[in-house]
Amino acid sequence: MLAKITQSKTLHWLGRQLLNREDPRAFFDPLTTAINPMWVQQYTPARVERITAETQDTKTFELRPANRWGGFKAGQHLNVNVEINGTRRTRTFSLSSSPALWESQGLITLTIKRLPGGLVTNWLHDDLKAGDVIGLTEAFGDFLIPEEKKPVLFIAGGSGITPILSQLDTMALEHYPGPVTLLYYVRTQSDVIGEEKLSALRSRYPAFSLNIITTHEGSAPRYLKGEDLDSIPGLTGCEIFLCGPKGLMDLATEQLCQRGINEDELHSTFFAPPAPAKLATNDIGGEVTFSTSNLTVDSKGDANLLEIAEAAGLSPQHGCRMGICHQCSCTKTSGTVVNRLTGQVSGPGSESVQLCISIPQGPVALEA
Amino acid sequence: MKNLSDQQLDELQKDLDAIRDEVLADLGERDANHIRSMVRLHRKLEVAGRVMMPFGFIPPVFLAATVSLGLAKILENMEIGHNVMHGQYDWMNDPSLNSQTYEWDTACSSESWRRTHNFEHHTYTNVIGKDRDYGYAVLRLSDDDPWKPRHTFQILNYAALSILFQWGVALHELEAEKLNHGKSHLKEKRPFLKVAAKKAGRQAFKDYVFFPVLTLPVAPIVLAGNACANLIRNLWSSTVIFCGHFTQDAETFTEEEAEGESKGHWYLRQLTGSSNFSGGKWMHIMSGHLSFQIEHHVFPDLPAHRYPEISEKVQKVCRKHGIHYNTGSFGKQYSTVLKRILRYSLPDRFTHRPATA
Repeated sequence: MLAKITQSKTLHWLGRQLLNREDPRAFFDPLTTAINPMWVQQYTPARVERITAETQDTKTFELRPANRWGGFKAGQHLNVNVEINGTRRTRTFSLSSSPALWESQGLITLTIKRLPGGLVTNWLHDDLKAGDVIGLTEAFGDFLIPEEKKPVLFIAGGSGITPILSQLDTMALEHYPGPVTLLYYVRTQSDVIGEEKLSALRSRYPAFSLNIITTHEGSAPRYLKGEDLDSIPGLTGCEIFLCGPKGLMDLATEQLCQRGINEDELHSTFFAPPAPAKLATNDIGGEVTFSTSNLTVDSKGDANLLEIAEAAGLSPQHGCRMGICHQCSCTKTSGTVVNRLTGQVSGPGSESVQLCISIPQGPVALEA
Repeated sequence: MKNLSDQQLDELQKDLDAIRDEVLADLGERDANHIRSMVRLHRKLEVAGRVMMPFGFIPPVFLAATVSLGLAKILENMEIGHNVMHGQYDWMNDPSLNSQTYEWDTACSSESWRRTHNFEHHTYTNVIGKDRDYGYAVLRLSDDDPWKPRHTFQILNYAALSILFQWGVALHELEAEKLNHGKSHLKEKRPFLKVAAKKAGRQAFKDYVFFPVLTLPVAPIVLAGNACANLIRNLWSSTVIFCGHFTQDAETFTEEEAEGESKGHWYLRQLTGSSNFSGGKWMHIMSGHLSFQIEHHVFPDLPAHRYPEISEKVQKVCRKHGIHYNTGSFGKQYSTVLKRILRYSLPDRFTHRPATA
């Protein structure tokens, strides 16, 4: 163990000396990936093994990550890196398969819905092919199966089912005692994701009960109602998991509160499609978080990120203050910014921005 | 400098911004493929050079190894490092091509380079007294700089600077000339010196200790080959860079001229203070497209391989506003650089022509 650490320390030291970089192995990526893209060292690669359609707008991508990938727990998500027209894009998706599949066959699945206007999800649906290689990060997230074997209620909406598919699969394998109930809200019967898996679970996992509720098949929408919850025995003793669109999450939280369940007892994970960008002057400004400095400040109007940082007492590296020299470039981890020079609105994900010409549009987090 | 009214300067800014916006809107796979293919070529040249070098006791192999390593360093410094650090590829969101974290294969640390080059030189281009790249505080290249006897043999200083170019660049931020005049203190420079020593030490260790010792029986050959490769890179980079701002028609500016200037005026200064030279595709690549110094100074953060296609449009804008577009063959441009160095070796009374045309 010690020898291994010393070896990697020496290797890194040598890498810095000889190749001027912290990740010396990645120096050879441009050569090795020309032979086999799975040999990339800069990130963890995964090969697309198979793509299957779940519904009209949802596909499941079966991936084989490189062996060095660290595995995951049911309910976790990961970041996927793909390169679209020269730019690396990062998005977070839930793992829909069970950890057992990774352990036994080295495979994982991501179940991804096409978002209208979404750059990455549409690319994944239209351009990604079996045999292609994409990048993954390690899994993260604490939407996890309870260690104490309490009864469980899952409330899912639409593609919010994906982490729950992984959890249910795992609970069935581990003979989790239950009872385990899933309330699954979908627009119509044809929008059910993981239909086969769910019906298979129902037959082989006796503790599991499934209630699929369609919201848009009748003449009027039928959203979550109090009575959906009232039919669940021992509701207050349940560990409750919510995953779905904001409307459903709000409704469920409200109904559960009415039944004496505290909001902070709920486990929830929330995936919202990015709001369409507008270029009106009244929607600029927002809360800016500087993660390295552990500081959050509010901004109003057209103050740029550099001015906001300086007003907050920080002194980020900068130069020309006119968008020329890139001295102030910094990684934005989340949130959108408007480029003062071009009026262009950034994507919501992680990317490099020039502080002196970027105006926040809503909350923004920076590595600074 | 050519006089343009505020209105004309605004017009100039609009014309150049339009070119810039067009390229920005079109950035994509083509640019990513270009820089990646350059990085791949660099890796091939460097690996080939390092592998062949120990067999340098065979003269043709020595030549091949030295040229291969020299070209690797040129390509990495000029077309990859310099351009990446300008933020030309930040939009790719690739951590290995990020302007703020890239570290290049030369003695100067990227951090110091970004301060002195990206900020000082590109903001105060050719402003005598502010742009320390103008003559590197070693050479007198304009009337604005009063003649002193030490300038008489400055052609020798120029030769020394070219031969040791990477070390000169590494120590640029020390501002040795100010230290000598008591305008700054060594104490203030300590943080810089610490980083500079670390980076320079790393480069020296690699080329002059590690690889020679690794191949001990042929250490002198490897040492000599590595030194030659660095020399090739030093001479070439220095020559290309001198052709960018010190040619006959490249203008200089006073601090008053540049103070509180508009973006249009800044553009005008970049256009008239820089000079290009012509050549083929590989000449441009090996000069990091600084053969399009004018385009580079107008648009320092657009991917450099775009400069040849932008050039046509920039020339059109120059013609429209009656601005001289300074270009010529490499030989012609370089000869005017040498003439400038020689002319300003002597006091003004020996030379009749003013510095700028």
